[in-house]
Amino acid sequence: MSERTIELEVLRYRPEQDQEPFFQTYKVPCEEEWVVLDALNYVKEEMDRTLSYRWSCHMFVCGSCGMMIDGEPKLACKAFLKDYPTGKIRVEPLSNFPIERDLVVVLDDFVEKLESVKPYIIPKEERTVEQGEYLQTPAQLKAFKQYTLCINCLCCYAVCPQYGLDESFVGPAALALAHRYNMDSRDLGRAARDDVVAAAEGIWHCSFVGACSQVCPKDVDPAGAIQQAKFAHGIDYLTSFLPGGKR
Amino acid sequence: MARSAKAVPWFLFAAGGTVLSFILPVMIFTTGIAPALGLFTDALSYDTMSAFVGNWLVKLVLFGILTLACWHAAHRLRVCAHDFGIRADTAVAVILYGLATVGTATAALALVSI
Amino acid sequence: MNPRKPYVRPISKTSWFMTQGRYKVYMLHEISSLFVAIYTAILIIGLVRLGEGEAAWQGWLDAVTSPIGVIFHLIAFVFALIHTTSWFKAVPQAMRIQRGEEIVPGKLIVGAHYGVLAAVSLFVLILAGVA
Ligand code: SF4
Ligand code: SF4
Ligand code: FES
Repeated sequence: MSERTIELEVLRYRPEQDQEPFFQTYKVPCEEEWVVLDALNYVKEEMDRTLSYRWSCHMFVCGSCGMMIDGEPKLACKAFLKDYPTGKIRVEPLSNFPIERDLVVVLDDFVEKLESVKPYIIPKEERTVEQGEYLQTPAQLKAFKQYTLCINCLCCYAVCPQYGLDESFVGPAALALAHRYNMDSRDLGRAARDDVVAAAEGIWHCSFVGACSQVCPKDVDPAGAIQQAKFAHGIDYLTSFLPGGKR
Repeated sequence: MARSAKAVPWFLFAAGGTVLSFILPVMIFTTGIAPALGLFTDALSYDTMSAFVGNWLVKLVLFGILTLACWHAAHRLRVCAHDFGIRADTAVAVILYGLATVGTATAALALVSI
Repeated sequence: MNPRKPYVRPISKTSWFMTQGRYKVYMLHEISSLFVAIYTAILIIGLVRLGEGEAAWQGWLDAVTSPIGVIFHLIAFVFALIHTTSWFKAVPQAMRIQRGEEIVPGKLIVGAHYGVLAAVSLFVLILAGVA
């Protein structure tokens, strides 16, 4: 196995002693096939136990290792060292979020937003256990499947300029998830989500920069979901003025 | 939070953006670049143009394009202002949508009087 | 004492778009609207002039063919192309078409748009050439 020394420039912030973040460089002996997360783990285990960062699955499913790698939001477990031939890699906590400590960011704002869009099925009709399961055809599943793939890694928030400029914006992942439930044939919650999703701080705040979809490691395409939602909620809004429309 | 009326300008923006994406390049070429190249001189002469625009169907199509173009541009410029750091969104919206209204009205009046 | 002290990194409200290439591209798309606005104004003025008679119309034509007029229209033409290409590129995202269990491929939708663009352009050119 061949080794390569990588210069890892990590943005550090220790709230109990630092006034502001600073870069600390670690020279890490790395294996060829490692990802950035492996390099961080090496630092933590062999060089500096004070370094803080989040991770869990090491296989792109838990969504906890999102961070800025050379300025791009990425999953550290999916960022292969061989894609950084210069041997110098800059690692920072996700942009647009407050830094809690080192590479760990404060997620409270996102969690609040996620809850606010009611990310669960609001059924057309409550069924008892005896009545059996809610049936769905493969085509009905296909309509929203893509939007279920989100792992809440927040790479999209880190690159969304509108969220960075104004954190009242509900943001890409939460709105894409709202769309996921709105598109589900078993769900009848679009009107219930309207207050948050179709507010000025909801879908209408997105200016379709499309950056979120470019960085999403799961190809969720939140930007597309938001534009589709603008159409659906927009029609809801206009028809609400027709006779018999729901206001 | 409450449901927002932004759906209305957004639909105009989106419809305008779609129509313009098809028609704008060739229109700018025809009315803005071709004359300087000495092309389409007959078509752009006063007599042909008056007769052409005199047709009510042409009037209707032109009115549609111009209205959508006004509102598309107004809405996108509003977003632009925000992106350039101007936070007086209400004032910006009043001015830009106001200009779009003036543009729409002027186009209607001009078309009716031809 | 609360040991938490979250650090917020500052973002410039007036120059954020210079920090990433994709933001610059986005701003280029947005700025196309300025040229749409000016061009639309020029056209509306042209219609007003047309209604005012032959001399007024000729004056408008002269202004369009003046050096400033030509330069403006050339720039506006480039921005029109930027608008068209970026708009088409985004269509499959904003408009997902599902046939049964399949999502219609984006390439097909974009291709159809370019087809319509060609047809519309040809139609206008023929109209201007024959009229
Ligand atoms: S939409 Fe994509 S980038 Fe955003 S949180 Fe979900 S998986 Fe991550
Ligand atoms: S498309 Fe919307 S949500 Fe996505 S990055 Fe752009 S502004 Fe943000
Ligand atoms: S560690 Fe779970 S996604 Fe990277």
